[in-house]
Amino acid sequence: MDNAAKRFLFAAVALAVIVSLCSSYFNRYYLGVAIDVGINVILAVSLNLINGHTGQFSLGHAGFMAVGGYTTAKFALLLQGQLPPWAQPLIFVAGLLLGGSMAAVAGLAVGVPTLRLKGDYLAIVTLGFGEIIRVIFQTTEAFGAATGLTGIPHWTNFAWTWSCAALTVFVVACLVNSTYGRGFIAVHDDEVAAGAMGINPVRYKITAFVIGAFFAGVAGGLYAHHKQFLSPGGFDFLKSIDIVVMVILGGMGRTVGVIIAAVLLTILPEALRGFAGYRMILYSLLIIILMLTRPQGLFTFGRAAQRKV
Amino acid sequence: MIGPLLQLQCVTIRFGGLTAVSEVDFQIGGRELVGLIGPNGAGKTTVFNLVTGVYQPTSGAILFAGQPTANLKSNQLARLGIARTFQNIRLFASMSVFDNVRVAVQLHSPHGIRDALWRGRGFREGERAVETQVMELLEIFNLGRFRAANAKSLPYGDQRRLEIVRALATRPKLLLLDEPAAGMNTTEKVALTQLIRFIKDKFQIAVLLVEHDMQVVMGICERIAVLDYGIKIAEGSPAKVRADPRVIEAYLGDELKIQN
Repeated sequence: MDNAAKRFLFAAVALAVIVSLCSSYFNRYYLGVAIDVGINVILAVSLNLINGHTGQFSLGHAGFMAVGGYTTAKFALLLQGQLPPWAQPLIFVAGLLLGGSMAAVAGLAVGVPTLRLKGDYLAIVTLGFGEIIRVIFQTTEAFGAATGLTGIPHWTNFAWTWSCAALTVFVVACLVNSTYGRGFIAVHDDEVAAGAMGINPVRYKITAFVIGAFFAGVAGGLYAHHKQFLSPGGFDFLKSIDIVVMVILGGMGRTVGVIIAAVLLTILPEALRGFAGYRMILYSLLIIILMLTRPQGLFTFGRAAQRKV
Repeated sequence: MIGPLLQLQCVTIRFGGLTAVSEVDFQIGGRELVGLIGPNGAGKTTVFNLVTGVYQPTSGAILFAGQPTANLKSNQLARLGIARTFQNIRLFASMSVFDNVRVAVQLHSPHGIRDALWRGRGFREGERAVETQVMELLEIFNLGRFRAANAKSLPYGDQRRLEIVRALATRPKLLLLDEPAAGMNTTEKVALTQLIRFIKDKFQIAVLLVEHDMQVVMGICERIAVLDYGIKIAEGSPAKVRADPRVIEAYLGDELKIQN
């Protein structure tokens, strides 16, 4: 599958660029939704590495996203006027990398002190951490405080978003589908046994947190340059829960399922717009029905042993 | 190698007011098959957990290949060459039989996170080598036909064997078996006895067997140490231990009474 994985990556990026070049032929609303979908795919697949594969129940993904989003946006706002227009994509890429890196540092900062915690306890601590980040942005004048950050240039397009999504899928799938990466699942299944087999559970957990947070940060950066406006309210714990729902619905640790769930759960609220006031009730109801009928994940077929990409 | 492979020097561990293991001296040579027995609650599993780094001794020292193991975590001990199985089987439940062994083989694989992402030729060859090693091990223990099956779907005896295979895949110098005969019937116990002897000869390693079942221990161990209330009360050949009045009183006595 090795070369197949690389081929997937190149094909996906090429497709994203082609679609993006034709974007003037598409409805702008649909294009916007497609970018929302791509961002949520990045968030869900990266959270899946932490929650699904490694089994560390984190509720702080929106926090990592906020770190990345604000960093990328601030970086662009500071440099925007000072560099010639041709440097724009460079600033954007540098900003995304910077945002991802800052989020990765935040992931490290959460990962290290919470290593001893499991399950519910870890969930509560990461939830608290996400809220702390949100409040920091909400009170810092340099980041627009409660009013938010405005005037962010519109640089995110279909190609950037879906190339990043393809890269996220590539990284997570390649990691897990290797002898090295089976360690993540071993930590998920039984930490004590994993330790006895020479796996360092601490290192694997931190790695998962750092990589997951990095891509959440990139998603935040894309989000910032897509909406052109950042407010702290957009990164509250409900956003984290949205992402967790995608992971659970897709089937913990199942990349393809999680992608499909991210696509569905982004499109669903849009498709239900016709129901106006009843929209969120219907949305919640559908999630309840799905969880009741397919608790093992929407797209989990066959036995758990057949772990595919 | 000079000196014993594993050495416990006056090891004591207390949990609050309870002294679970008290001043135990004990050693295992390079290719020895040693049994550790004792009645329920005698401290066998505690000794086991001390050797595998789950607990740190309150006093005394544990040396592996001459090196003190204080403050080493279980994954570091595995790297040194100590592998174990668990009393209540702890296989990786969401993985296949193949992947359970593959995780253990990873210990000696030079390919880390960067290779897994770059997927160059070295990595692909490494993965193929890992695959060959896993399949060889599985074939030796007749588990090859189950390779794709979920580990927890195997029959009980096979799960126990898979756990041993997984431990062997870390290429240990010392294999610790924690009550491998628990829950087995007589036929399975005979097969297990043969298996342990086979492992010791084939892989040329030392085995420490913590066991309740006298039939298994007496049948294969070269030397037996007996624990009672955390104190080592006897040590020697199976025949010697069997004849020791303190052992009979502490352990065998009960069993003999039940049998009569």
